[in-house]
Amino acid sequence: MLIKKETAVVTLLFSVLFFVACEQKSKTITVDSNSMRIPVSVHDSLILSVDKSPMDMSYFPDDYPKQKMITPNMASPVARVIYGRPKKNGRTIFGDSGVTKNIIQEYGKEWRLGANEASEMEVFKPVVINGKPLNTGRYIIYAIPYADRWKIIFNNNLYSWGLHMDKTQDILSIEIPVIRNDINIEYFTMLFQQSTQGCELVMAWGNIKTVLPINFN
Amino acid sequence: MMKYLLLVTGFLFFSITILHAQTKLPGLDRSPMDMSYYPDQYPLLIIQDKVTEPLVARIIYSRPQKKGRVVFGDLLEYGKVWRLGANEATEINFYTDVKVNDKIILKGRYSMYCIPNVERWTIIINKQTDTWGSYKYNDTDDIIRMDLPVQKQTEITEEFVMAFEKSATGADLIIAWDDVKLNLPIVF
Repeated sequence: MLIKKETAVVTLLFSVLFFVACEQKSKTITVDSNSMRIPVSVHDSLILSVDKSPMDMSYFPDDYPKQKMITPNMASPVARVIYGRPKKNGRTIFGDSGVTKNIIQEYGKEWRLGANEASEMEVFKPVVINGKPLNTGRYIIYAIPYADRWKIIFNNNLYSWGLHMDKTQDILSIEIPVIRNDINIEYFTMLFQQSTQGCELVMAWGNIKTVLPINFN
Repeated sequence: MMKYLLLVTGFLFFSITILHAQTKLPGLDRSPMDMSYYPDQYPLLIIQDKVTEPLVARIIYSRPQKKGRVVFGDLLEYGKVWRLGANEATEINFYTDVKVNDKIILKGRYSMYCIPNVERWTIIINKQTDTWGSYKYNDTDDIIRMDLPVQKQTEITEEFVMAFEKSATGADLIIAWDDVKLNLPIVF
């Protein structure tokens, strides 16, 4: 009986190990490059390998392009965000450099909400954020993170690398609380989820996340 | 022994739960997304105050890698529509009206596909946007089709790449992967 139990446990253990191995294999990313350097010409970019913090995009409705593939005559998407995905790499992400060494992003300073080009959010119909209207169009979205809250700002100064700050082009802002996550998010992630008022943009990195309400219902 | 095994098993299950909790958020794409502008490196020009001409075009695409495979004629079948990248269909945004193959394309957002063949490719600009792959590609939504000659490169391009280059009449969209390169002339 004991042997049987042990065999069962060992079998289970192996299947679990196998499963974990598969999980990890499927997560293996082949983006290995030192391309944080800035490309200087089109010829340079032709040999330039993929970005260290690769670009990604999220839609609302979530996975819109895939949904559109299986749903005929699907209505237009509501929103899309395009951003670079930096990796935590064992570093402390947010902090006060006077207190913690080697932080990625200082509290109280503007952050592009990603990496490389400033993050961009497009709304395909008018929405309401923080009680204010945001017209159909494309915007820069950036943040000023603090320990307990982030200030999220929409700005008209599009297509910049990093943040080319021009606060006169800020359109609206909202402060949202920082929520502690019980899991660790290695790559900075933004994605939309449905809410009763419309949708929310979830922004997560390390062990924190913030949720930006976007209303259109 | 049993206790130890159970403990280890328990721990592994716990780790898996965490892994799964994490996979709710998207991991990194195998073929990461990238974008190119005309003027080339426009976002860098902006922050360096070096912009000399207005923004004309931007392409958003994903970058599959060769990884030792023969790309054209093997990984990608000749004569079949390809999304010019990976994941979502490639998107091209014109910020001004342009001409491709002598036809006017109004400013706006389009998807791009191609049909690769040995000696020439057909490049397609289509008005359906925000789609995944070329599964729902419909030629009735085509704006432009243009045949381009394939240029053989001696140097292999590992990661599929697209970038704009200034030309006498506007800009060329350079498309390169493996031992193949093409130039799509955009007039403006």
